Amino acid sequence: MFERRLYLHLDWLLFGAIVCLSIIGVAMIYSTTGNWRLPTTQLYAIVIGALAFVVCLTIDYRALTDKSHFIYLALLGLLVYVLFFGTSAGGARRWISLGAFNLQPSEFAKVGVALVLAKFFGENRRGAPTTGDLLIAGALTSVPLILIAREPDLGTAVTLGPIFLGIAYVAGMRLRILGALALVAIVSAPIAWNYALEDYQKSRIETFLDPSQDARGAGYQQIQAQITVGSGGLWGKGYRKGTQGQLRFLPVAHNDFIFSALAEEKGFAGVLFVLGLYLLVIWRSLEAARLAKDRLGIYLVMGLLSSFTFQVIYNVTMSAGLAPVKGLTLPLLSYGGSSMIATLASFGLILNVRMRRFTN
Amino acid sequence: MADFTPPVEDRRSITVRLVVLQVSLTLIFTILACSFWYFQVVQHEKYNELAENNHQRTISLRAPRGVMLDRNEKVLVENRSSFTISIVREHTKDLNRTIRVLSEVAGLDPKFVHEVVNRHRKEPTYRPIVVLDDASLAQVAAVLARRLESELPDVLVEEVPTRRYPAESFAAHLFGYVGEANEGQVESESLHSGAIVGQAGVEKIYNKLLMGEDGARRVKVNSMGREIETLEEIPANEGRRVQLTIDIDLQRAAEEGFKAGGFNGAAVVMDPRTGEVLAFTSVPGYDPNDFAAGVERATWNGLLTDPLKPLSNRAIQGLYSPGSTFKIVVAVAALEEGVVTPNFRVTCGGGAMFYGRYFQCHKKGGHGSVDMREAMEKSCNVYYYTLGNMTGVDKIHKWATLLGLGEKTGIDLPNEVSGLVPSTEWKRRRYNEKWYAGETISVAIGQGQVSITPVSLAVMMSTVANGGTRFIPQLLKAVDEGHGWKPVQPPAPKSQVRLKPETVSALHDGLFYVVNRAGTGGRARIPGRDVSGKTGTAQVISLTGGKQAAGRSERDLRDHGWFVFFAPRDNPEIAGVIFGEHNEHGYISAPIAKYVMETYFAKKDGKPLPKLAQPAPDPTLERDEPPAPQPAATVAAVAADTPVRH
Repeated sequence: MFERRLYLHLDWLLFGAIVCLSIIGVAMIYSTTGNWRLPTTQLYAIVIGALAFVVCLTIDYRALTDKSHFIYLALLGLLVYVLFFGTSAGGARRWISLGAFNLQPSEFAKVGVALVLAKFFGENRRGAPTTGDLLIAGALTSVPLILIAREPDLGTAVTLGPIFLGIAYVAGMRLRILGALALVAIVSAPIAWNYALEDYQKSRIETFLDPSQDARGAGYQQIQAQITVGSGGLWGKGYRKGTQGQLRFLPVAHNDFIFSALAEEKGFAGVLFVLGLYLLVIWRSLEAARLAKDRLGIYLVMGLLSSFTFQVIYNVTMSAGLAPVKGLTLPLLSYGGSSMIATLASFGLILNVRMRRFTN
Repeated sequence: MADFTPPVEDRRSITVRLVVLQVSLTLIFTILACSFWYFQVVQHEKYNELAENNHQRTISLRAPRGVMLDRNEKVLVENRSSFTISIVREHTKDLNRTIRVLSEVAGLDPKFVHEVVNRHRKEPTYRPIVVLDDASLAQVAAVLARRLESELPDVLVEEVPTRRYPAESFAAHLFGYVGEANEGQVESESLHSGAIVGQAGVEKIYNKLLMGEDGARRVKVNSMGREIETLEEIPANEGRRVQLTIDIDLQRAAEEGFKAGGFNGAAVVMDPRTGEVLAFTSVPGYDPNDFAAGVERATWNGLLTDPLKPLSNRAIQGLYSPGSTFKIVVAVAALEEGVVTPNFRVTCGGGAMFYGRYFQCHKKGGHGSVDMREAMEKSCNVYYYTLGNMTGVDKIHKWATLLGLGEKTGIDLPNEVSGLVPSTEWKRRRYNEKWYAGETISVAIGQGQVSITPVSLAVMMSTVANGGTRFIPQLLKAVDEGHGWKPVQPPAPKSQVRLKPETVSALHDGLFYVVNRAGTGGRARIPGRDVSGKTGTAQVISLTGGKQAAGRSERDLRDHGWFVFFAPRDNPEIAGVIFGEHNEHGYISAPIAKYVMETYFAKKDGKPLPKLAQPAPDPTLERDEPPAPQPAATVAAVAADTPVRH
């Protein structure tokens, strides 16, 4: 399994971009928190993530996918466990306490869902997925999604949706159905508004539409994010010289709003550089999908990449105050051990698919 | 393992979809980059300003007011540090919560805090609203502790200089007090809202000198409102040091004198050679310290509704009838106009008929034949009825004015009122009526429509003492503009006449007899100092009339006692007035004058200052002249004309 030949096919460019982003992340966490406590934790997470990366790279993805239903079920178990026995903070139960650190199963659920959906669509030989296939896949996605949403962690729950859509899209889902889904989403929005959303979620959306309405509450974060980004200018205020992030006007600057903090201290130049790195990661991952030996590989890459891409785009948009504030982190940059480990594992799998494009 | 290799056509469709995805994502990233470009480059200025407003705060640094010193550079009024607690609404998320928590922590009435905040709600939110002046250390500690816990990030605790006045309302009406500028002052003097300005007394009239210039400090704060560093500091400029003409020891003597005497009133003591005021008091006073750091409503209301009117500066705002002290004016008028000489004699039989009415003297059997000096000594009414009748009201008015009565003295204190000395001209203008010669008779003994302020009586005494120069009483001696004391140019005398030497000597003799012979001023006698003076009694009941008297207690109806004085008889150095409210007799006021003069001479000779001897009641002393009964018509006229009479 550990063939030297394989590593000649490793995508070193993609790997380099990921390393680069992770380092930038640690640097920004240090800048925004002002001490080494969180950056150190993040470095530990990167080390563990690197191990997960190596493991995910080493095991043939086909073998892993074959066992994906076990992984999926195990993750469902963890999600149920969290709902009842999880560590709660800020009114949400999202973590399993492991002593030294807290594990957030929902981050790993993304990988599990990607694996199980890749397997489901990959085994399907009938060409374009039928409505029945889509319903089954939808159900496979919805179960963990609902469990996560119940924690409640709507932000992470929503990132499961793109996994399904991404895989179904490349699997040849008819665009008509995609359109129909979009229509359903639009029609169901008012229903969701009235019945499904919590008050704080509604207020966040209302506030997004008119931040000044609640300039001290939920709108505060959005306004501050915009000020943070805008005040950065072309070249930024300098590393650790940002006022918004350093003086805590920008909330959770090391986490949800790390990109705003980066925009403030490194300016538009830094924004372009980091966006470029992300785009590079996405391009190279799409390339991995294109070169994949089999549909399973394509779907796996697509599933993992969709969730990642969705999160990057949403978070960056939010960082500029252009999307409602949601607890959605920026993968690779934001502080968060589980997210870092799960993301690195995902890229292990993506590189795995590319690396094994010539193997049987 | 099954063969998952997709068919070729399948592969092609997947490739197409991947390319579509790639292009779309690239487009999205381009749009994102453009958005950032728009915010960071195009609108950079705007957001940069917003960011700076976020973390920069300008804190006003209150300038200490100028220190007030006495004529010998002893400190009268200085500054101390106090703590104010304010709310800065700029970073308030929930004002009601802030007010609730702050009130709880500092032990304030939330309703009161709401009121204060409401009063300032139209001001810019970055400007602190002071909700508590002069907070106790316990309050400061409690608030700061909550601030550290980030519970009250929008509450500001500042150390500010605050006025410290002497205790026990010492010279309160002289110093006045300071307070927040009201809306009118903010506009007319272009002050910032919340500026501390003089609201009464010297604090008010010399506010421009005393106020100084507030400084500012631009600081960097974090989102919790905690200061991180100072970016820029414009130091506050302390107000000018001012030297008053007041002598703290004489002032203390006057204050103590009233305390020992147990009555209210006013005292103004001047240097008749310069017009400088050496002591100035009005009793009861108030504690200006209560105002220094924002007056509490209850205190203020208490002062406003107090029947003793502690906010009224009796020395310059109280109008009283001068009683027998006015005889000095009548004597000057008669002598200067050449109506009589000092040797002119009148025989007093206890009363006399004028214009068909009988006017009484206060001595039942009469004083017999008296000349001017003796008439002054004994305060013989009949003599002055006669003198007044011969001189006429207009000449009396002329000389009263020259001596300083019936007009504002021009003392450098705000809101002085003008007394009144009637004339035929005045009566015609005021009532469109002819002056009846009979009215002059009452005027001659300081009754009738004559009304004066204590300060104007002091000026009159000073003018008589110095031989005719009517100085404008002056409180400001020198100002330190930063390069040492610069004497203030005293204002030119209001009027200057040379009284005839025989006028001066006759008056000085008469007034000397009042104190040093059998007269009523014996209690002011100081061996070797040739104190000269005159008592007077101002009727309350006949002036206010039965109607107003109805609502007053017995105490309020008792007469006021005057004592005017100067010393020594030749080349006087000190002159003044003691006004005793409802103390019934002028001689009751005299010991205060004595104590002030004793202090003055002891100081001058470098001797230890005298202690106040409690004057023992002296039953042998003759009762001071009771005022003559008034003709009914005059009483009515006075009642209608008198704005403020105590």
